[in-house]
Amino acid sequence: MKESVVMKIHYGTALGAVFLTVIHILMRMTQDFHESLEFENVLANYEMLGYAILLELLLILVSVHGFNGLRVILLEIKQGPTYEKAVSYGCVAAMAILIAYGTRTILMAHLGMV
Amino acid sequence: MEKEPKSREGIKGWINPAKYGKFGIERFAWILMRITGLGLLAYFIAHIYETSNILNGKEVWDEMLAMTQTTEGHIFLALVIGMCVFHTGNGIRLMLVQMGYGVGKAQRPDYPYKPQSLNMKGKACIYATIGIAALAMWYGITVMFG
Repeated sequence: MKESVVMKIHYGTALGAVFLTVIHILMRMTQDFHESLEFENVLANYEMLGYAILLELLLILVSVHGFNGLRVILLEIKQGPTYEKAVSYGCVAAMAILIAYGTRTILMAHLGMV
Repeated sequence: MEKEPKSREGIKGWINPAKYGKFGIERFAWILMRITGLGLLAYFIAHIYETSNILNGKEVWDEMLAMTQTTEGHIFLALVIGMCVFHTGNGIRLMLVQMGYGVGKAQRPDYPYKPQSLNMKGKACIYATIGIAALAMWYGITVMFG
């Protein structure tokens, strides 16, 4: 993929993640901050379909943005064909693992498998 | 295939204090953008792991929560808020600069070759972003300790 396209994805995921993070934080403000983090309240959040979808989208957007950012930083430090390939594939693999792990939590909590 | 030349300075160039005096606040914003990005990614991974504990039941969740509901935990979260706000603000500034806003008009390169893009608008944005990040940290502290 062209670097210019990758950077457009980087900026797009950034804007999307900011928007969803604001909603995610505002959800903590709907009640007392400490109360909102109690087991029952957090589980109730996961059980809401709309909020579960928001969390999944946020997970994907932040993972894509975060690991692409890490890739850019690592490529700024050192260059070379083998190194660049290893960094790019490594970041994609790490991103996929994190998304899979987070999705497992969201799905299981949403379906009440707690 | 010919081997590409390595970056001359690498990570040493990042931490070289002489660069900060030479390039000013823009250099500081550049390094802070990378540090906050790495910090936020580390926090995000830890947050995904932390929240996965909801699947292990109320007891494990409460234990995990107790670890974060301490003075140190709140200070750490306030730092995360600061990093998040700075990274967002500076990121939006960089996006606008890449789209050509606020970079100034092209000029003939005369001594001392000051780039038009590193102007007062950019500097003001960086200082404002740092200020807003500090305010957000203060607000976060009042909510968490309140």
